[in-house]
Amino acid sequence: MTKRRPEVVRVEGLAKDFRPGLGLRAKRVLDGITFSVHENEIFGFVGPNGAGKTTTLKILMGLIRPSGGSARILGHDIRESRFREHVGFLPEVSYFYDYLTGIEFLDFYARLSNVPRAKRPDRIATLLGWVGLSHAGDARLRTYSKGMLQRIGIAQALIHDPQVVFLDEPMSGLDPLGRKEIRDLILRLRGDGKTVFMNTHILSDVEMVCDRVAIIVKGKIRYEGRIEDFIASDNQRADVVLARVPAELPARLEDDLGAELRPHGDQLEARVHEKAINDVLRAALAAGADVLSVTPVRVSLESIFLSAVGEPEARGEVR
Amino acid sequence: MFGRIRTIAGNTVREAIRNKVLYALVFFAVLLIGVGVLLSTLSYVEQERIIQDVGLSAIRLFGALIAIFLGVGLIHKEVDRRTIYTIVTKSVARWEFLLGKYLGLVATVWMQVVVMSAAFLAVSWLTGAPIGVTHLYALLLSAGELALLVAIATFFSAFTTPMLASFFTGGFYVVGHLTRDLKQLGSQSDVESVKQVAGLLYRILPDLESFNLTIQALHELPVAPAEVWWPLAYGALYVIVVLTLASLVFHRKDFR
Repeated sequence: MTKRRPEVVRVEGLAKDFRPGLGLRAKRVLDGITFSVHENEIFGFVGPNGAGKTTTLKILMGLIRPSGGSARILGHDIRESRFREHVGFLPEVSYFYDYLTGIEFLDFYARLSNVPRAKRPDRIATLLGWVGLSHAGDARLRTYSKGMLQRIGIAQALIHDPQVVFLDEPMSGLDPLGRKEIRDLILRLRGDGKTVFMNTHILSDVEMVCDRVAIIVKGKIRYEGRIEDFIASDNQRADVVLARVPAELPARLEDDLGAELRPHGDQLEARVHEKAINDVLRAALAAGADVLSVTPVRVSLESIFLSAVGEPEARGEVR
Repeated sequence: MFGRIRTIAGNTVREAIRNKVLYALVFFAVLLIGVGVLLSTLSYVEQERIIQDVGLSAIRLFGALIAIFLGVGLIHKEVDRRTIYTIVTKSVARWEFLLGKYLGLVATVWMQVVVMSAAFLAVSWLTGAPIGVTHLYALLLSAGELALLVAIATFFSAFTTPMLASFFTGGFYVVGHLTRDLKQLGSQSDVESVKQVAGLLYRILPDLESFNLTIQALHELPVAPAEVWWPLAYGALYVIVVLTLASLVFHRKDFR
């Protein structure tokens, strides 16, 4: 369904080289990134730390220039500036002017975003309500907790009622309740017809809110598409539990059919790919083993992600 | 556009006046202006001139220190703390941001000049030192000089660290007061290339001595209108050129 929607973001062959120092050889941190984000979807840009998520987002936001490739937002080349009035952005880690109150802070960004003076008070009150900070509008930002700062940061990204919102690690550093509030806010934005692009490495949040994802590893896109398709694509498995297993059967299941074996007393559990289930069952029955059960395994995005990325690279970097 | 620039300028003032070092510098400037009264007692003649010489010099020196101190971190701090991320990704052009920051800092520096000038005029009035229109011209040109100095600090702040920017801006301030001597030395040289280099440097580097009317004020010498409007026009042009260069550099900057 989402494929029929118009593209809001189109990135083609995006590349970025960083020179670590004067005279040093440039290092390619983005290598031919291509993906698209469709209207009114929540798009998760997922990858381990250092994969190039923030660099990609900074290029889209015009904070750094690409070394190659192109990108368009709402049909405009990212080097233009006219479309920015329709775009909201929350950076990953941001210091805000902590001497301002919540209301003053949002008023500052409303002025910069050309929100008409007459509409500012209502818009600010509405957003403070959305992000659960109505009670803290008159407090200075220096008194805010990290979660409150993250929420007021999201409010500034929405102050001018943008069509598309870019959020860099919006749930980072938040407690479970805070994460739920932000998730609800993101879902609300989609409900209001907005498009949300979200950088994150928290896969449980991706599974809960994102319609589509792109997985980036070491500056390259490994996958782009719907989460269900990603989980289903070539990744479904089943656990086959066998009894009275002949001695030669485990080696055949493991070597010829790619099964992962786990002995449980006199039973053997074989985790097999869905395409190999029939072959495994045939081999087991032919060898004289009893088939006790066949149970499909619900594979989580996280486990697939770890196998796609390479577990050592991702260990400790995704949650 | 003007609304956005004004918003950034207003926020810059609000942030700058929270800096406690600013008040320390103004305090010492006012103190020095007052100390001029004590220094004048060491002399039997020209006591009023000593008071006013110390006062005007204090305004120029501490004004320059404030301009450099606040100016060199003006842009760098915004980039370092990433506050700029949420600003230039809105409908704010980078040059608008730069200009807003510059105007905000000039306003802050001028507010301090007003405070120091008030102290100067009060001390002059209390000690019976003469106050004429030339004194006001001298104060006006000091404000003009500081606006130029803030532009130079802004330029360096757009692409380098506060440490280097303060070094470069301080260097420009010192050299800027010596460019006339440089030109003079060049003209006296027998070597043509030295003359040309000295002339070129005089054209490129700011002529900050043109903003100095201290002598005229102390001796109540008549000041031709051109001695006031010419430095102001020259300063305005210099500021435009420097800020244009800063914008060009800033426009190409990657915020990594």
